[in-house]
Amino acid sequence: MDALMEMETWEKKTALKAQETPDGAEQAEVIRMQNINKSYQMGAQSLHVLKDISLTVKRGEYLAILGPSGSGKSTLMNIIGCMDVMDEGSYQLDGVEIGHAKEKELVRIRNQKIGFVFQKYHLIPTYNVLQNIVMPLLMRGMGLREAERASMDTIELLGLKERIRHKPNELSGGQQQRVAIARALVGQPTILLADEPTGALDGNSGKEVLKLFQNLNDMGNTIVMITHDLNVAKHAGRVVQIVDGEISA
Amino acid sequence: MKPNELLRLVWLNITQNKFKVIMTSIGIIVGAATIVMVIAIGKGGQADVADQFKNLNAGAIDISYDGGNSDFQMDTDETGSGDSGMAMMPGGFGGGATGGGSSGSAGETGDFGGGAGGGGSSGGGAGGGFPDGGSGGDFSGGADGGTGDMPSGDLPDFGGMNGFFGGGSDMEDRMNQENITLNEEDVWDIETFVAGISAVTISYTTRAAVDGGELEEAQSYTIAGVKSEYASISNLTLAAGSFLTDEDDENKEKVCVLGAGIAEEIFGSAIEAYGSVLYIDDRRYVVSGVLEAMGTVASGISPDNAIFIPYETGVKYLVGTAVNPTITVIAADTRSVDDVILAVTDVLADSYPNAEFTFTDAGSKMEAAEASNEILTMLLIAMAAIVFVVGGIGIMNVLFVSVKERTNEIGILKAIGCSRRDILLEFLAEAAAISLIGGVLGSLLSLIITPGVQYLGVRVELSVPAFFLALLFAVGTGTIFGFYPAYKASRLIPVDALSAE
Repeated sequence: MDALMEMETWEKKTALKAQETPDGAEQAEVIRMQNINKSYQMGAQSLHVLKDISLTVKRGEYLAILGPSGSGKSTLMNIIGCMDVMDEGSYQLDGVEIGHAKEKELVRIRNQKIGFVFQKYHLIPTYNVLQNIVMPLLMRGMGLREAERASMDTIELLGLKERIRHKPNELSGGQQQRVAIARALVGQPTILLADEPTGALDGNSGKEVLKLFQNLNDMGNTIVMITHDLNVAKHAGRVVQIVDGEISA
Repeated sequence: MKPNELLRLVWLNITQNKFKVIMTSIGIIVGAATIVMVIAIGKGGQADVADQFKNLNAGAIDISYDGGNSDFQMDTDETGSGDSGMAMMPGGFGGGATGGGSSGSAGETGDFGGGAGGGGSSGGGAGGGFPDGGSGGDFSGGADGGTGDMPSGDLPDFGGMNGFFGGGSDMEDRMNQENITLNEEDVWDIETFVAGISAVTISYTTRAAVDGGELEEAQSYTIAGVKSEYASISNLTLAAGSFLTDEDDENKEKVCVLGAGIAEEIFGSAIEAYGSVLYIDDRRYVVSGVLEAMGTVASGISPDNAIFIPYETGVKYLVGTAVNPTITVIAADTRSVDDVILAVTDVLADSYPNAEFTFTDAGSKMEAAEASNEILTMLLIAMAAIVFVVGGIGIMNVLFVSVKERTNEIGILKAIGCSRRDILLEFLAEAAAISLIGGVLGSLLSLIITPGVQYLGVRVELSVPAFFLALLFAVGTGTIFGFYPAYKASRLIPVDALSAE
């Protein structure tokens, strides 16, 4: 029951946030990619990983990018997350052309517009749950106390309140992934990017995470999830398939 | 990121990896300890030099006469007026004045044959037989000479013996030599004719048998015949009583002032020594004063181990005309020492046209000692610098490994929006903090080492600036050598860093 109440407060908050956005922004495109190309140099050979990818994601959408391993979906994910640079094409995130952005701008975008969730959680082992979660806020220049206060809602939402002093290695996989999701959400990003978020989890934990994603999407969060698993992809509102670096459907 | 939050993260990383931090900073620990010890030993050396010269006036110039050549010994004497001082033994017999004490001690009869043989073998001329005590030749050969307590009047015989054994080719040379004994007239000449001096005094040393106090048998000690002003010129301070006076000197009073070491040796303490009686060459002297401990000295008379008697008293009862005194001139301005030496040379040349005098000025000795100490300090500092470079390379290596280990973490930080600058600063601050810890531990280590070094007999003067310098060097080294790994970390491409295992 408590969790439900919390969910409601969360919804109110996100609703508040949605109101702040300009008119029609609810339906605006958060991601607009056109003719993205990316090659990797493997010794003498050039590996063409992404071929003329064009993709748009609307605000509030829950998109799954489905593809087998080696299809280029991770590369696409890294480019969406401003972790890698494309060779050709145009990519606008929330109206900002990423191709022209300088490192400083990219850092700001990664910190404020994108929330990353990884397959292997990627928590910092020396920090406890709370310290891991507040990191994105600290990087914005927030003080520790302020950041802790600001992250309490998210921590409660994800049911981690009892675990905040634990180290990642003291948690189960599902709990670790929830910490990672909390860290991704704490900065209230424009888009939540999840790379095989259930890949390292057992069935039940995986289901929980997917349910959580569903709830987050219902609250208005834009989610892009990458997976090789059709059953996982089915949870999303829309599925885009990528094969050999090309979007096929 | 806010600086305090960044430092908080650094602190977190350091406290989570204490063992690694210690291992990383070992080079810095050793470096910091080295720099503290180097400075402490250097300062100890400086203090040693300062101590050695503390009773030496920087403007002091000692003038002595060694004779025309190095083999020449001044102190031979034909007369019987001197009794036992080695300093006055005929060369062929005793092997020269200054070496006299080398094997025989006062109070026992030396090996006459050996002594004579020594004189003979070196072809020296006789000391005796010449009315004015003139001597020459290679008397220094008598290595195992040394005797004391010669009854007055015996000496001419030995002189004759020397003449008998010696004789020979040096005779003519010796006859051309002046017999030169610096005296109070020379002091007066210098005082009158040399400008820019603040004091002049004359003194000599000899050795004589001393008995009394707690001594079970007579022993040979250094006796210094000095004027009343010697105390102020040599910066001597008294623990008890007063120094010798002009009246003592004029009246040839049998009084003496003891060095701290001797007072303790003979009487147990300065208090007991003061007012006591001791026997120098079997004559009764009253102890009129005892000096404070002065420590070792670089040159001149070591006051701790000398017995000071009035100049004239010593001339009358101990050395006679065989005395080879040293005149000490104090230049009023230490910068004009060279000028004073020239002026004194001129004045003495009037009295002794053919003689060459030896000038020893305290300033240049001090400079030489300080210079050698400085060189030593520089060498030690160079050593410390090398240790730091090695320590720094060690830190760099460990940090490279650390960056490698934490590549994944760096990737995470980048993915969640950590700037290059923050990553650079975090790694740099970590390197500096590890080095600071190393510096502190090294400083503590030096405190532990110090007693050991002191036990080995090295003087160590720990100083607060040395600790600060060690910390500064430690942090500097860590930061400089930590920069490259930190820079590398900050430049990692996020996606590469994140996929690293």
